[in-house]
Amino acid sequence: MFDWLLDVYNYRVVADYASTFAFGIWRTVWISTVSLLAALVLGTGIALMRRSRRRLARWPATVYVEALRGTPLLVQIYLVYYGLPEIPLLGRRLDELEGGVLALSVHTAAYMAEIIRAGIGSVPEGQAEGARSVGMTRWQTLRYVVLPQAFANATPPIIGQTAVLIKDSSLLSIIAVFETMSAGLRLMSDRYMPNEAFLTSAACFLAIYAVMLGVSNFAQRRLGGAT
Amino acid sequence: MSEPATKSPGDTSAESRDIIRVENVHKVFRGAKDHRIVALAGVSEVVARGEVLVLLGQSGSGKSTLLRSLNGLEAVDSGRIVVDGRDVTDRKTDLNALREEVGMVFQNFNLFKHKTALENITLPLEVVRRTSRQEARERAERMLARVGLADWAGSYPSQLSGGQQQRVAIARSLAMEPKVMLFDEVTSALDPETVGGVLRLMEELAGEGMTMVVVTHEIGFAKRAAHRIAFMDQGQVVERGDPQGFFAAPQSERAQQFLEQIL
Ligand SMILES: Nc1ncnc2c1ncn2[C@@H]1O[C@H](COP(=O)(O)OP(=O)(O)OP(=O)(O)O)[C@@H](O)[C@H]1O
Ligand SMILES: [Mg+2]
Repeated sequence: MFDWLLDVYNYRVVADYASTFAFGIWRTVWISTVSLLAALVLGTGIALMRRSRRRLARWPATVYVEALRGTPLLVQIYLVYYGLPEIPLLGRRLDELEGGVLALSVHTAAYMAEIIRAGIGSVPEGQAEGARSVGMTRWQTLRYVVLPQAFANATPPIIGQTAVLIKDSSLLSIIAVFETMSAGLRLMSDRYMPNEAFLTSAACFLAIYAVMLGVSNFAQRRLGGAT
Repeated sequence: MSEPATKSPGDTSAESRDIIRVENVHKVFRGAKDHRIVALAGVSEVVARGEVLVLLGQSGSGKSTLLRSLNGLEAVDSGRIVVDGRDVTDRKTDLNALREEVGMVFQNFNLFKHKTALENITLPLEVVRRTSRQEARERAERMLARVGLADWAGSYPSQLSGGQQQRVAIARSLAMEPKVMLFDEVTSALDPETVGGVLRLMEELAGEGMTMVVVTHEIGFAKRAAHRIAFMDQGQVVERGDPQGFFAAPQSERAQQFLEQIL
């Protein structure tokens, strides 16, 4: 009944590769999650440095952001993977997965820093003054008053950047990290069936994206409060 | 902190009587194109414990700047400010500790938007005072009841009227058990029908002996609650006196003009 379809997209072949794609999806989700968390932490630090009164904190942060936004991610991945020497504490060089996650994190942090900086800027000055006037320290003010509101305000662009991050993670296939794109490439090289290989990879990415959206909408409703 | 004999009697009594001393304070802001804006031009003032001082003056005369410098929210250029024995102008002074004792209420409330009315009060208690969650909650509920908002504990600021928000803001300050309360035009942003409730609350506080420095355009409040009026002009206090005398017969020309405008 679906014979006509087999010519365009042979799902039986794809089914043979189900476990390969499943593993690819798992890896993509893992890489994206770790990179996202690292990028948010690093990005928050960079954002705070860019807002600092001290020039010595501001300009390295500015150089970081512009250097990483101004060069291709592909170059950054190659640089981190091939360029980094042995890591002192680790006693060896980074493997492809570690190097890939590091490159993605560092790259995404530059964009997150700008998003978070704008988020902090969107919190009215009076919020911090209210906190300081009841005796909160700078750090407490940031931690309990400014950053929660900054992140709430910045959630839509953070989700957008996360979507970019998920897609960008496919670039790690070029340093032999096995993920969703690599699963497609495996099928391609085994069978030379481009539709089966790449349409399936595309569908997997789309599914990951959809789940990410669902999760973030759920979380926003749970954590949102009234704003 | 009892070290009698060493100080002259006059000295000691002045220290315990005056909770705020402002001595020859200057403050210049840098405006656009490095334009100098003199906000405070050698202002001096003393506030006694339990006193309600109302600051009056034209827009731009430096009332807010003076008020904000009392809890170190605004750093001054020169002069000295001592509040409850702490030198606010000394770099080494712990301003956070000072601010626990000096409550401040703002024109725009500055309630934490992401927190409910109750959480607005419990957050500083838990974070600054390290009060237990349970105790903070109980104290917050008492404070909300005291300002007549017991039923609004779970509401976010955006769900409250301006007057209600301002009462929560006052409750938030009071929960810290301050020795001094600073009010900066706290009814200016309110709808007329909610102004009364906030003013009544402030009068109650004054009646309980709270030391208060109040910037306001509410002349009725000043007449009823103020022990003393200080009139500011161009960054200085140019006239001070009791409310009856000041409103009946202001001495300075600027004060006369000011009262003509607003009455
Ligand atoms: N952050 C600031 N930057 C630059 N100029 C400022 C700043 N804050 C206050 N000023 C200026 O300092 C002067 C005194 O301001 P201040 O706010 O103390 O006046 P005010 O008496 O409270 O006036 P209003 O009744 O309008 O609130 C004004 O000229 C004002 O423009
Ligand atoms: Mg003002």
